[in-house]
Amino acid sequence: MSVASPFTMTHIEAFLLFAAVISVAFGFLGRRQPKDRVKYILWTFFLFVVVGIGIGWAMYPFSR
Amino acid sequence: MPQNDEMNVEKNETAPQQQAPANLEPAEPAARQNGSTENKALGVAIAGWLLPGLGHALQRMWGRALVVFVCVGVLMLTGAAMRGNLFTSNGNDAFDTLGYVADLGAGSFYFLARAVERGGADVSHAGGDYGTRFLATAGVLNLLAALHAYEAARGRKA
Repeated sequence: MSVASPFTMTHIEAFLLFAAVISVAFGFLGRRQPKDRVKYILWTFFLFVVVGIGIGWAMYPFSR
Repeated sequence: MPQNDEMNVEKNETAPQQQAPANLEPAEPAARQNGSTENKALGVAIAGWLLPGLGHALQRMWGRALVVFVCVGVLMLTGAAMRGNLFTSNGNDAFDTLGYVADLGAGSFYFLARAVERGGADVSHAGGDYGTRFLATAGVLNLLAALHAYEAARGRKA
C-alpha cells in the first residue's frame, strides 16, 4: 500500500507557484525602483507562463 | 565655437596627467581598503548562503533580504512537503552530485528541509518529482542571491 504524499499540487498549481515565486525574486534582485520591479515581475511571470505552456504543447505530440 | 570645443578636449586630455602624482601617493591605503572590502564582501556572501537573505540584511537591503528569505523558504518547504528528493553527498552518479550541490545552495534551509521531510523522498508520484525541482531551484536561487549580495558589498551597482 502506497503512502499518499501529505501535500499535493496539480501540475498547473505547482507551475504557477514556481513562476510567481521566481518572478518576485528576480524582480527584487534585478531592479531597484518599485515601479520597475512590478513591471519586471509581471513581465517575467508572463514569460514563464507563456513559455511553459508553449513547451508543454510542443511536447504534446510525443506524450502518447 | 570650434575653439571652445578644442579647448575642452585639451582640458580633458591634460586632466589625468595633472592628477597622476596625486593618485600614486595613497596607493597602499587604497589597496588595504580594497582587501578589506573584498573580505567583507566574502563574509556577506557566506552569510547570505548560510541563511537566505542575511547577506542583503547585513547591507540594510531589507526588502531584498525579506524576499530572498521568503522565496527560498517557500520553495524549500513546498519541495519538502511534496516529498521531493533531497540529494545527499553519497550520490551514485554525476547528476546526484549536481543535485546535491544545488540543494546545498540553500544553506541552513537544506538541513531544515531534511528535518521537515521525515518520511523521505517519494518520486513515484508527479508531486515528488515537482518537489525535487522546487528544492534544487531554492538552492540555486539562494546562490544567485548570495552572489548578488557579494557584488553589492563590493560596491557594484546592484
